[in-house]
Amino acid sequence: MKRLRRDPLLMFGVVFLVFLVLFAVFGPTVRDLQLRPEGRNNFNSVLDKVGLPFLPAGGSAMLGTDEIGRDIVSRLAAGARISLMVGFIVQAISLLVGITVGVLGVFAPNWIRTPLLRFTDGMFAFPDILLAILIIGVLGSSEVKFPGSSVLPVIVALSITGWPSITRLVVTQVATLKDREYVVAARAAGASTFYLVTRHILPQLSGILLAVSMIQIAGTILAESTLSFLGIGVQAPDPTWGSMINNARFEMNSHPLLLLWPCVILSLTIFSLNFVGDGLRAALDPKGR
Amino acid sequence: MRLAKALLLRLIFGALSLLFISLVTFVADELAPGDAATVEAGEKATAAQVARIRENLGLNRPWPERYVKYVGAAAQGDFGRSYYGIKEPVRDVLVRTIPMTLKLSAMAILLASFVGILLGTLAAVYQNRFADRSVLTFSTLGVTLPNFVLGPILVYLFANPRVFDYLPLTWSQERVAPDFYYFVLPVAILAARPTALLTRLTRASMIDTMQQEFIRTAVAKGVPRRRLIFTHALRNAILPVITAIGTSFGFLLTGSFVVERFFTLPGLGSATIEAIQQGNMPVIQACVLVTGAMFILLNLVVDLFLPILDPRIRESQV
Repeated sequence: MKRLRRDPLLMFGVVFLVFLVLFAVFGPTVRDLQLRPEGRNNFNSVLDKVGLPFLPAGGSAMLGTDEIGRDIVSRLAAGARISLMVGFIVQAISLLVGITVGVLGVFAPNWIRTPLLRFTDGMFAFPDILLAILIIGVLGSSEVKFPGSSVLPVIVALSITGWPSITRLVVTQVATLKDREYVVAARAAGASTFYLVTRHILPQLSGILLAVSMIQIAGTILAESTLSFLGIGVQAPDPTWGSMINNARFEMNSHPLLLLWPCVILSLTIFSLNFVGDGLRAALDPKGR
Repeated sequence: MRLAKALLLRLIFGALSLLFISLVTFVADELAPGDAATVEAGEKATAAQVARIRENLGLNRPWPERYVKYVGAAAQGDFGRSYYGIKEPVRDVLVRTIPMTLKLSAMAILLASFVGILLGTLAAVYQNRFADRSVLTFSTLGVTLPNFVLGPILVYLFANPRVFDYLPLTWSQERVAPDFYYFVLPVAILAARPTALLTRLTRASMIDTMQQEFIRTAVAKGVPRRRLIFTHALRNAILPVITAIGTSFGFLLTGSFVVERFFTLPGLGSATIEAIQQGNMPVIQACVLVTGAMFILLNLVVDLFLPILDPRIRESQV
């Protein structure tokens, strides 16, 4: 813990991420209350106009308004909500699938193990984004409309591309851990494989999985923003940082600040998650002590 | 003999990866609604008409048969016809767009390899000094900064009447400057991440190599410093970097989606995005298949070349 506090980049990352989560959770609501016009209760500061287009920063719209007069702070907060939600949900699914497949890849009988591992290897034949783009292409043209919004296809696509690297990590780690003396001893004492995995092996992996998850969430958020920037991710009216950057670049020469804010918040988020992941990994590495 | 066996295994693995990609794209097409028959029959067709066309096209055969047919056709460059527009053969779309993407990626990978290896070597030679620190800072930025954030920044600086109006912004039919100028910004943006990765890798690999004993021997022997760094150390340190050049080609292909859209360059990435927005499945399928295949083939070539460059790999497998 002490060593964690001595790492300035990691502390910066943690502080920024805490701020980001609070901003995402409370930002839109607070802004709604602040900006609500007289006599309107169902006002939505993310989607509704709060004033003229291209209001400068300062005044009631803290960072000004965008090209159709919507409040930039509210939209950044709503974008944070979507990015963080996508990041965490995708990571949760990736961990669940990745760990399950990884453990099966070590302990299952050969006729399950081999195809599973070969399939995992095959998943690495694709560059990640390419597979995500293919999946979105299929889901997007499908007539089945997803409940909620366009966020779901993105989550599905990124989850499918996310789990194989977790599996690879889990397979190598579990394969070495399962021959450790304390595991062998537990087995000799009559512990079942399920007990061994859940009580003796996976807890050992929690640290490294946490560190790797931080870095993977950064990758997921980046992928989500890339897809939204390309216009095939989360669709309007839901604001995301990627689509905000895409919209703002057409006004770049006259209103560069519009482009600046989503770029800054996205970059800081990616930096912070990487700092925290690297910091945790360094702190967990016994060689660094 | 073991070398031949290893190379053969690598070839088989490459072929299997290609098959895997083709299977995934095939399944994607199966899952997507509509097929060539529904498109050809038009919206007013009755179910019976669609069924008849489907039978004529052989789309009612069992899927393994159609998969074999699909792979066979794709191997000969036949990807069917586009669903929309003039329903041109998908092959024409590919022929039109692939050169642009390849040109961009090739320029970017050359730039990234050259700059990355140079900066990495520099950082390793001046380890922990000012040059090293600044190179490291820049490469950290390059790795984490998304290319669609870097893009606007560079465009704002270099293609802006109010700052430096040096470079043209978007590609179009009527180009006012030689093509080269249109490629400067896209290639720079595309190369940023691979450059940063290769820099870090070269630095780590060089630092590792410089501590080895044959370097100490060379120093003791009085080898001139420049020769020591470039001939003795770099030649040994460069092998993992070459493998990484292969994998970073994957970043380039996906990065080119962003860059092509940003600068409206008519490449494979633009074609894919456009197809997704139209729901044009044959084009999506072919673009993903071709991009994936290029990625696999390039990595295969790199892996097959390594034993030629490094006698240690040759020896270990003989």
